[in-house]
Amino acid sequence: MKHVITTISTLAILAITLPAFAHFQMIYTPESALNRGGRIPLAIVFTHPFEAGHTMDMGRPEQFFVTRSRGENIPKKTDLLPMLKPMTWTSLTNSGAAYETEYSARGGDHIFCLVPAPYYEGEEDAYIQQFTKMIVNVGGEPGAWMEPVGLDCEIVPLCKPYDRWTGNVFQGKVLFKGKPVSGAEIEIEYLNHKPLLDKKAFAKEASATAPQAAFVLQTIFADDNGVFTFGIPKAGWWGFAALGIDPEGSFKGKACSRDAVIWIQAKDMK
Amino acid sequence: MKFKLSVFIFAVMLFGFFLTPAAQAHTPLCSCYDNGDGTVTCEGGFSDGSSAAGVEMHVEDGSGKVLFKGKMNEDSEYTFDKPAGDYKVLFDAGEGHKITVNGKEITE
Repeated sequence: MKHVITTISTLAILAITLPAFAHFQMIYTPESALNRGGRIPLAIVFTHPFEAGHTMDMGRPEQFFVTRSRGENIPKKTDLLPMLKPMTWTSLTNSGAAYETEYSARGGDHIFCLVPAPYYEGEEDAYIQQFTKMIVNVGGEPGAWMEPVGLDCEIVPLCKPYDRWTGNVFQGKVLFKGKPVSGAEIEIEYLNHKPLLDKKAFAKEASATAPQAAFVLQTIFADDNGVFTFGIPKAGWWGFAALGIDPEGSFKGKACSRDAVIWIQAKDMK
Repeated sequence: MKFKLSVFIFAVMLFGFFLTPAAQAHTPLCSCYDNGDGTVTCEGGFSDGSSAAGVEMHVEDGSGKVLFKGKMNEDSEYTFDKPAGDYKVLFDAGEGHKITVNGKEITE
């Protein structure tokens, strides 16, 4: 009997632990700080970025838009949902339904925002929905990068997300419906395999090796004001996901982890 | 008197010290785009995010003749009809805050 209980509890713990593999919603473009405007590619992939692992099939997103702002001008919102084209993204282990588009960027800040369709995670019998932001600047003129866009689940950057040197810290504030989320749990992953947009696949070569599983997915917590701080150890793209910040998140009668994600890109001082 | 002069020089140096970084943190920016409909739009601003509304704009042809003269609007934008030949755009926000954009570099 004792064995049965142990087995059941082990299974239960496994069931709770396994889904801790970080799913990360990506909005990817090669360069977040452009000198000149022009057409930029965007890839929208739901994946495991550090290991370029299992890529989930995305449904048609609920929202995809950009707010553009320059200097003191009022930000202008443009719906990009009609521009999204389905594609198949290949990871190192599988391939999954994803989206792509191109965007014509002029000067200032462009805050790309994605509200994906809730994703059903069979292992958890629950849904995941990651509200994702990625910010591109053209020409160095800042806009409203620090202002909330108004997503239900949102990370607002407290540092310019496109001007970080390697070794700088990145600070963000986690908001749920505009209110700070005290003690939010934040998972962090490095985009460790270069996305090859022409092949719609991750490069096989990794740029960093994790000495142990804990390093694949780093975990930190926000303070009482919902503010978190992370020292950036390496140039490249870093993703931050504040998990399950809607205490009543549900979809189709099942639990739904509604998360806030932001991506930043750091550069080496050379 | 000598003492007063040195105090004055020190004050000038101190003033210069505080003045310089402020100027550096305020780089003028101007980018122009061919709208593809026979017009060109220039967007101006400063690296600290301050507005360029009211900044003087000139468009000159290859020989330096002024084709258009105007000002950045409320949104720090200036739109003009694209000249047929060589041209350049001048963003003039005062001494040390001038930018020239060559028409050849203006694309969609």
